[in-house]
Amino acid sequence: VSAEPGQTGREMHDAESKGWVEQLRSGHPRHEQAVARLHGVLVRVAIHELSRRRWQLASIAGPEFDDLAQQAADDALMNVLRKLEEFRGLSRFTTWAYKFVIFEVSSKVARHAWRRQPPSSEELDWHELPDWLAPRPGDQLEQREQLEALSAAIGELTDRQREVFVAIALNDVPIDVLALRLGSNRNAVYKNLFDARRTLRSRLAAAGHALIEEDAIA
Amino acid sequence: MTDRRHRLDELLRAKEGDAGCNAGEEILDAYVELELAGEDPARVFPGTAIHLQSCPGCKADHDGLLEAARRFGDLDLG
Repeated sequence: VSAEPGQTGREMHDAESKGWVEQLRSGHPRHEQAVARLHGVLVRVAIHELSRRRWQLASIAGPEFDDLAQQAADDALMNVLRKLEEFRGLSRFTTWAYKFVIFEVSSKVARHAWRRQPPSSEELDWHELPDWLAPRPGDQLEQREQLEALSAAIGELTDRQREVFVAIALNDVPIDVLALRLGSNRNAVYKNLFDARRTLRSRLAAAGHALIEEDAIA
Repeated sequence: MTDRRHRLDELLRAKEGDAGCNAGEEILDAYVELELAGEDPARVFPGTAIHLQSCPGCKADHDGLLEAARRFGDLDLG
């Protein structure tokens, strides 16, 4: 995993975005109104995003759902105001501000899911390939050998790589929920996943079962 | 490529040039803005374009921000 090069995209600095930044600065005569208006739309964005991720929220009830949206909007607003001078105009101001509420919802949904239903040991421990990948009676010898090689390679990953790969790739455990389970963060867990996948591709290629031509050349 | 082979290739996707989660978080708003303008964000942010194909967490954030910017983007100061 390598860092994004220093591309900055285009700067937008449109009048509307400039107006938002100016009015949100403390001391501006319309500061209170601008904060209230932004907070109102952050709540709406949070509700929309929570609804989009409802599958992770299980049985959350009306008042608790509204409370979660309110908390996400409150925390996002704090971040927007704290980082106001860091806004560089690479997007409209509203898109930049909404990013903070999306991240807050993402984090709060993961915490909620983690508390309500932490990943089971079944989802973290390596047992066997899922049904859709398991060898079938009609498979050609080459396919069976490829899947057997994959199975063996999963068993040879480091403990952390195997745990992360099995949970996320094979059992669809959300990456942020797993990060909480491991006391880690999304970026570090993703690095484990990336390394696991690269190792597995390389092991398959070394055993003569490259998935694509590029792997075989490597 | 058979369907299962294709899914296996997806399962093990690990492309060189992946910018990782932190780099994408920094520029996600600019990335989405390019998409909304009908431009190809992969030309400006190739590492994040690769990353979003492989990271379910960042993909969910990206999809949420794109939808929010589309739906609530025309907010004026009132």
